[in-house]
Amino acid sequence: MWSLAYGLIAMAVVAFVVLYAAAHAPNFTTVNLADQLYGAKKWIAEYLPSFPRVDVTSRFRIFVNVVRVVRANATAYDYDTRQWTTFPVYLPVGYRLERAGENVIYQIYLNVTRCRYTALPWGEPATLYEIELRHSLDQLPWLDVYAAVPHNLTQYYSWLHSYYTAWRRPPAVGLTPRVGADEAFMELVKAEHILVYNATSDSAKLYVAAPAAALYVLLVDYPLKLPLTCPEQIASALSESQRSDTPVIGPPSPR
Amino acid sequence: MIVFRDVLIFAGLVALAAAVIASLFPVGEGASPVPACSDCAFKLTGGYWIRQYGNYAALYLGTREAARHGWAYRADEGRPLRIGENATCDTAMYLWVVGGVAYVSCDGSPPRFGRDVLGPKLPFVDVRINSDWRRGCDTTIRFEANLTESLGVEVEVYDEEGRLVASATGTIPGSVSFSIPMAGVYRVHIYAPPLFDEWHTLTAQVRISDLLRARVFKSNDTQDLRSSTSLKIFDLTNYWKKGYTSVTVHVNPAGVSFTLSAPAGAFADFLLAWEDCPNCDPADGDMYVDEVWRLTFTQTNIVLTNIHSGGDFWHEVYVTSQPYGRVLIWTWNKEGPKLNSYTINWFSTIVWIESQDSTMNARATFVKECYWG
Repeated sequence: MWSLAYGLIAMAVVAFVVLYAAAHAPNFTTVNLADQLYGAKKWIAEYLPSFPRVDVTSRFRIFVNVVRVVRANATAYDYDTRQWTTFPVYLPVGYRLERAGENVIYQIYLNVTRCRYTALPWGEPATLYEIELRHSLDQLPWLDVYAAVPHNLTQYYSWLHSYYTAWRRPPAVGLTPRVGADEAFMELVKAEHILVYNATSDSAKLYVAAPAAALYVLLVDYPLKLPLTCPEQIASALSESQRSDTPVIGPPSPR
Repeated sequence: MIVFRDVLIFAGLVALAAAVIASLFPVGEGASPVPACSDCAFKLTGGYWIRQYGNYAALYLGTREAARHGWAYRADEGRPLRIGENATCDTAMYLWVVGGVAYVSCDGSPPRFGRDVLGPKLPFVDVRINSDWRRGCDTTIRFEANLTESLGVEVEVYDEEGRLVASATGTIPGSVSFSIPMAGVYRVHIYAPPLFDEWHTLTAQVRISDLLRARVFKSNDTQDLRSSTSLKIFDLTNYWKKGYTSVTVHVNPAGVSFTLSAPAGAFADFLLAWEDCPNCDPADGDMYVDEVWRLTFTQTNIVLTNIHSGGDFWHEVYVTSQPYGRVLIWTWNKEGPKLNSYTINWFSTIVWIESQDSTMNARATFVKECYWG
């Protein structure tokens, strides 16, 4: 009888010690900020083509995860009706993106404030972009800038036109159907760029010099890739006759 | 059985002794050391607290120092601890160590790295604006949004002089409709704080184009403009908008005039004065009075009314009217229809006035348009 009582008391003591130790053992998990940051950027990159496109500046100021666009008309060769056609396209000129990981807030704000023709020191014509850049993390780990130079602009627009006929919504240059889907039509070349920080505001200026023939510049905060266009330059390029070049008959298959 | 009992008692005593001895040992040698790592998150239960020193922050369990970190921050308040300040929690302490810096939180809210650089962040609202031209520039603004609750929106329409001419309220998501009573340039305010505070320009007008020997005037014109102009179109809309009850229009060098009274509910109003002969009518009083018509756009129709006809030549007045096409509505000095008032149930029309001297034939196209600038 007594031995059973001793046994129960001893069991209670052991159980208490074990439970107390288990409850008070530091409970820990590792924190990997780099993974969280990568995950946030990857999420944005995945959903970027489906983010709303706004062409009213005041809305761009308040909505998040939107793409600021400028509406323009592009000329394409319609392979079904075998004639030239004009259709609306969106030219992306700004982004307001946010995605929070558990411990990281990733925010990037990009806005093309100015762009114009310029000449590089060695005389090559170029388009100079002035891009307002705001970033929630002080140091961008690495920022790559490429310029997308189309092999044949008419072919590219004819390919975009197939998305316009399918979706009945204006496709966005560089974003439709996803970033990088146009690699068959574009050559990506490294673009000269310089980032100028401002000591008194969060806003930095990114200057990019792209070849004059480039349709857009691609900002890469790996794995997030953001195309930005220069609407003024594209408008002037579109007004020059694109119809002089002979279209390749036989539809390029949209992928 | 007895052996099992003794083993249990012995194990219990050993565990108790171990726990007591462990709490007396310094860093890292107790039963439950805080692992030293540079990037991890802990949940610490028991008497843990942090004290900030001049060059490091120490994590204590009771009086025993359990770990050292570079500096301690309060994750909930987002501020560093002052030197000599303690941080403690009632039940459990959540501790993040990132890059050797400790972030303390009592409610489990994690520290966030990254400043807010975007400012306001609101869900996206899709705005679609449609104007129905066939009716009196009826405009519908549709809001589509995935808001959790609907939000009131006010739309106010102001004319060129800043007077409120229309207003409407609705909800987001939902739609707001209003109509523009008269041609003009309007400022439209869409107000739904904090989502919208926007001004738009709405232009409602009758565009007169495709002119053949015709000119548009905003006020009196008494000149002899023959050879280039046989049809004078006087735009009276602005006079009615300013509140005049009647207007007298002088059409030729002799000052022959036509007095028109304000129409009720007109969108736009025009007086058409036409001359049928290129070089006759030396008496100035007979010029531009051979066919005088009033063309009024109501909210839904276009009404043509004959005011005066004269002269020796024959005349024909044609209009386009849906769905009949080109219709002869009036003849003078010849056989044919004599409709001195004609209503077109459409938002655009083309008017032709012709005579036996075809060098005076005139034409003008009138189209009601409402668009956002």
